[in-house]
Amino acid sequence: MSGNRSEVVEDLNRLMAEEAEAFLRYFQMRFRLRGKNRRTAEKFFEGALKETLEHADAIAKQIRSLGHIPTLHIHLSLGGGPMRPEEALAEALDVEQQALDAYKDFLPRVMGDPVLEDFIRKQIAVETEHVQEILDVVHAGPPLKLVAKLES
Amino acid sequence: METWKEFEANELTHSAAHHLVAIYEVGLKYGGWARVSDIARHLDITRGSVSINLRALKKREWIETGEHHMVRLCAKGLKAAQSVMAKRVVVKAFLSDVLGTPDPQAEIDSCKIEHLIAHSTGQRLARFMRFLGSGDPVATEFLERFRGVRGECPDNRTCDVCKGHCLVDELERAI
Repeated sequence: MSGNRSEVVEDLNRLMAEEAEAFLRYFQMRFRLRGKNRRTAEKFFEGALKETLEHADAIAKQIRSLGHIPTLHIHLSLGGGPMRPEEALAEALDVEQQALDAYKDFLPRVMGDPVLEDFIRKQIAVETEHVQEILDVVHAGPPLKLVAKLES
Repeated sequence: METWKEFEANELTHSAAHHLVAIYEVGLKYGGWARVSDIARHLDITRGSVSINLRALKKREWIETGEHHMVRLCAKGLKAAQSVMAKRVVVKAFLSDVLGTPDPQAEIDSCKIEHLIAHSTGQRLARFMRFLGSGDPVATEFLERFRGVRGECPDNRTCDVCKGHCLVDELERAI
């Protein structure tokens, strides 16, 4: 494992913050949704917020297994008006892409640590899949396709 | 427009100002380009937040995106960032050098004010600071005399500044 343990923990705390913040964003975003596909998009965000919370929890457990207590620094104020599902998904895509990039950037630092390397590789696989799912929906374009994709 | 509404309608929000300045500062090392991860570390916020905030800046054509999620300031964004930085410097100089505000507080207050005052006000303040630092005996004497003022209020608690309502008392109660 390259880098000292406290730096690795610091990076894990940052990753946890990405996931926890995404959870809060999705939580609030559900209530901003408007338009024909609102209900379907709400379901999508319900799933996404569950998943982000699970990820944050999994990272926190990794931090604890390294002998540290997770620390969370989030500066967030969520306002804004109504949002179309397409807009919300575009924002979600940004958030998920950044989380994926953060995991990818972190991977070289835990190479050689069997537990952490395996954990981060799994996170990359899951996030890659998630980004692809959202991309597919975003590129689907017309509302009918959006509904079909989200419901499948 | 009433002043408080003008404050709300400010095109350059506090967050936007900080993002523009961060892109400028991070980009200094990389030919103007900045990575989202570096901006996030610079501002001590998440990459997700930066990414979402950058969407608004891009919409306003203050920034442009390049390969590998890199961003840089467009001409409009660079102008805005430079004006914010200039106003921050001059406001901070005024607060610390003239008013004698301790450094950390001067930093915090200038950061809060920098994007809210008009460019012309910033320019006037810069001109005033240049005058004070010009070495002109009048300016030097003015500064010395100001620093010697203890700010004691007249017994009747009114003066030309307070106009019948003692601001010093008011602020003392607020501290």
